[in-house]
Amino acid sequence: MADEIVFDLLHSEIINYALDQSKDNNDKKEVDLSVVEYIGFAAGYKIMERLTREWPRFKDELDTMKFICTDFWTCIYKKQIDNLRTNHQGVYVLQDNAFRFLNNFSNGHQYLEYAPRYVAYTCGLIRGGLANLCINSVVTAEVQSMPSCKFHIHVQRT
Amino acid sequence: MAVCVAVIGKDNSPLYIGGIGNDTSTDNELSRQWLVHTALDALEERLATTNANNTGSNTNTARTDLRDLYLGLLYSTDTHKIYGYVTNTKIKLVLVTSSTSPSGSNIRDSEVRTALRRLHALYADAMCNPFHLPGDPITSSKFDKQVKNLMLNNV
Repeated sequence: MADEIVFDLLHSEIINYALDQSKDNNDKKEVDLSVVEYIGFAAGYKIMERLTREWPRFKDELDTMKFICTDFWTCIYKKQIDNLRTNHQGVYVLQDNAFRFLNNFSNGHQYLEYAPRYVAYTCGLIRGGLANLCINSVVTAEVQSMPSCKFHIHVQRT
Repeated sequence: MAVCVAVIGKDNSPLYIGGIGNDTSTDNELSRQWLVHTALDALEERLATTNANNTGSNTNTARTDLRDLYLGLLYSTDTHKIYGYVTNTKIKLVLVTSSTSPSGSNIRDSEVRTALRRLHALYADAMCNPFHLPGDPITSSKFDKQVKNLMLNNV
């Protein structure tokens, strides 16, 4: 589909832009991806208002996470999350075995060091979506072997 | 049909309050604010019972309609009726009808439901404006115009 490739290319250009910016600002080796994460956050926040319009009220947190895994993921990545795990204490692990932004890169460990760049946006996207549903969280991602990716969601209890 | 609609944010701060001036008692901003905010307690109460029912008796399938976003008539005064709607994102939409005017007194529940659903759609569109920051009052004149249209058109 044409619209998917447009999103993919725009996403990678945003990352290149953010990398250029952080190169100008400080000449240290570390890469500043907070701006990419923030763009994801804003997008997730806004998209959630639209996606939940036709939905009944969510029962609880787990119900919300299931929504993220199915409808939210389908809307953005055209597939569902492959595995959802939780410890029932506010930690959720979402596993995608063929994450779209990594799918074309490699099928193993090549380019593994660049993987964090391509998951930052999605972390923000999840965090923003949850923030609009009044769930404050910290989202991190873990890539062990290339097309598969795990997102860890830690819900912040007050 | 409606004399006033309001969009209330997550923290109960008004994001948008609009009215049409054919009803003298709701003509000014202050009485609109008052009308809308009298209903907020009733709205919170309705939400609390919804949650209690869901956690208390999951087996009770008759209660599933409480998960509906539309909360129905919240509060009625001598002159006005106030209807509420809460989105999944905890945005509260409030619609006030006048029970003194002929068009408002015999309004059907389904009409209010459709009007609030349409207001929700308008709100979702207004949110997608990149210049609008979440939590700020809605200043978009397009949104204002569409909402005024919604109020006048009696759906």
